[in-house]
Amino acid sequence: MTKTARTFAFAARSLVRQPGRASVGILGIAAVGALLFDMLLLSRGLIVSFRDLLDSVGFDVRILATDSPILGGARIARVTPLVRQLAGLPEIAEVVPLRLVDAETAAPRDGSQTAAGPGSVAFSLLAMDPARHAWTVVAGRDLAARVAELEVLINRRLAGLLKASPGDTISIRVACAADRAALPPMNVRVSGIADFPFDDATQQTAVAPWRAVTSLCGLVDDAADLVLIASREGYGPDAAVSAIRRLRPDLRAATNEEVVTRMQQQGFSYFRQISTVLSTITMVFGFLLITVLLTVSVNQRLGEIAALRALGFSRARLAADVLWQSALLVGTGGFLALPLGAALSVWLDAILRQMPGIPASLHFFVYEPRALAVHVGLLVATAVLAALYPMRLVAALPIAATLRSEIVG
Amino acid sequence: MIVARGLSKTFPMPAGPVHAVRDVSIGIDAGEYVAIRGPSGCGKSTLLHILGCVDTPTSGTLTFDGRPVESLPDAERSRLRLLSIGFVFQRFFLLPMLTAAENVEVPQSEAGAPRADRRRRTAELLDYVGLAHRADHRPAQLSGGEAQRVAIARALANRPRVLLADEPTGELDRATGEQIAGLLDRVHVDGTAVVVVTHDPAIAERAKRELLMRDGRLA
Repeated sequence: MTKTARTFAFAARSLVRQPGRASVGILGIAAVGALLFDMLLLSRGLIVSFRDLLDSVGFDVRILATDSPILGGARIARVTPLVRQLAGLPEIAEVVPLRLVDAETAAPRDGSQTAAGPGSVAFSLLAMDPARHAWTVVAGRDLAARVAELEVLINRRLAGLLKASPGDTISIRVACAADRAALPPMNVRVSGIADFPFDDATQQTAVAPWRAVTSLCGLVDDAADLVLIASREGYGPDAAVSAIRRLRPDLRAATNEEVVTRMQQQGFSYFRQISTVLSTITMVFGFLLITVLLTVSVNQRLGEIAALRALGFSRARLAADVLWQSALLVGTGGFLALPLGAALSVWLDAILRQMPGIPASLHFFVYEPRALAVHVGLLVATAVLAALYPMRLVAALPIAATLRSEIVG
Repeated sequence: MIVARGLSKTFPMPAGPVHAVRDVSIGIDAGEYVAIRGPSGCGKSTLLHILGCVDTPTSGTLTFDGRPVESLPDAERSRLRLLSIGFVFQRFFLLPMLTAAENVEVPQSEAGAPRADRRRRTAELLDYVGLAHRADHRPAQLSGGEAQRVAIARALANRPRVLLADEPTGELDRATGEQIAGLLDRVHVDGTAVVVVTHDPAIAERAKRELLMRDGRLA
C-alpha cells in the first residue's frame, strides 16, 4: 500500500467512524454544491440555449435594418430586389425574408361560417416562405409553395383558442404597419398546426407565405423585419456576412455567433452576474462549513494528534490526513450535489420559463461538460482552501507541550 | 543507544523563564530498564520527551545510535520515533474511533508493513498483553488497565529499541498499576529497553536503574 493510499484509508476510516460529523459536512456540501452547480448551469445556460435555438432554425446569418436585435423596429425596405441580389452571391445558399404583422381573427364579411367564432383573437402573423427547420408541423401539412387560396399554419395555442383543425377556414384581419388601420377581413384556410421555436407559452402565432402577406399588406409595402440567410457550404457564415456587408453596408448582418455575443453583452449579462455572486457565496459557505468542521475536529483531538506525532507520524502525514478528510467530505458532498442540482435546476427552469416573452424552447439552466468541469474545479479549490487552516494547526502542533497540557487538563 | 549530554530545557513564561531540565547527562543502553522518579513538576516528563525526540532541548546534545537528533528534519525524526521508539502515555491516547486491534495496527500501517504481517503482529501483541479477546472492542469499551495494555501493544508494534513510558500507571488503581508494571517488566525481559517516568517508588523500584530527579536535575 502506498503512502498516499494509507493516508487516504486512514482519513476515510476516521470519517466513517464519525458518522455525525461526516454527515453534517457531506449534506452541507451537497446543498451548497447543488446551488453552485445550478449557478454554473445558469451562468451560460441562456446563451447556450439561445445559440441552440438560433441554430435550430437552420440559418446562420441574420440581416436587420439596425443594430437592435428586437423585431418590430425599423424594417428593411425594398426587400424583393435585395433578396434577388443576395441570392446571387456565391457565399449564400438560401435567402428567406421574414415579416411580422399584427393580426386578429374576425367574423367574415360574407357571413360564411368559420372556426373563429364570434370573438376576435389577436395573434402574430409571420410572412415567411417554408424553409429549412423554421417550424415543426405537428398536424395537417406544411404551407404549399404554390396554392390558389391563402393558407396559414397556426401554432397549438392559437389552434386551441380557435378550436381550429387542419382544413378549417378562419377569417383574419391584418394590420401591416402601426400607423395603418386594419385591412378588411379575409378568409384563410388552416393547412396545419405547427410549433414555432421562438414562441413563448402564451403566444398565438401563425405563418403564411411571404407573397400572400405582402399582397394583403399592399405591394407598395415591400419591407421585411428580418432576412434569414443560410451560408453556402464551404464558405461559412463569416464569409457570407462579409459579402453582405460589401453589398449593403447600410444593413446589419450578423452571424448567429455574433448575435449570441451581442445578447451575452446586453440582456443576458444579468444572469451571469447573479450567477457569479451566488456561486461565490455558496463557495464561501462551503469553505466555512468544512473549515469549521475540520478545525473543531482537530481541536477536539489535539491529544490524539500529539500522541500520533509522538508515535512517529510526521507533520506532513497528519496534515495530509486533514486534507484527505476535506477532500472526502467535499468530494462526496459534491458528487451528491450533481443529481440534487440537476433536479433543482429543472424546477427552477420551469419557474423562470413562466416569465412572459420567453420562447418555450429556451432554457435558463443548460448542462454543458464545461459546467461540470468548473463545478469539480471549484469544489477541489474549496476542499484545499478549507483544509489549509486545520492543516496548519496540525502541522504546527507542539507535541510535548500538547501532551503536557492534555495531562494537566 | 541514547546518549544525552548537558541537556537543558527552559520554557519562557510571562513571570520569567522556567528551567524544567538543567544540565542533564544520561545514557540509555540497549535492553536497559531505567526508572526516572521524582515529584510532580521536577522535569522528568520533559526529559522523557527530549529523550524520545518529541521535544528539543534548549541546550545540550542528544544522539540515538550515534546520530545527532537535533539536526534531523521532522520527517526523519518522525521515522526514528516510528521505528525505534515506543511511547506509552499516562492518558493512553488510543484513537477512539478504532478498535483495539486497529489501534495496534496504526503504527505498523504507517511503517508500511504488509496487511498480513500487520494482522499477525497485532494478534501476537494483543495476546502478549492478554487482550486477544478484546481485539474488536473500542477504547470506550475497555477499562483503564485494558486501554493501557492496548497502548503498550501499540507502542511495541514496530519492535522499537526502546519503550518510553510517561507515568503509565498514573490513571490506574494500585492493582491495575501493578499489572501494567508487570507487563513493562516482561517487555524488558524480552529484550526491549524500557525507560519509565513515575512518581511512584513501587513502580520505580522494579527498574534495574533508578534515577531521582529534583528541580530539573538528576540527583
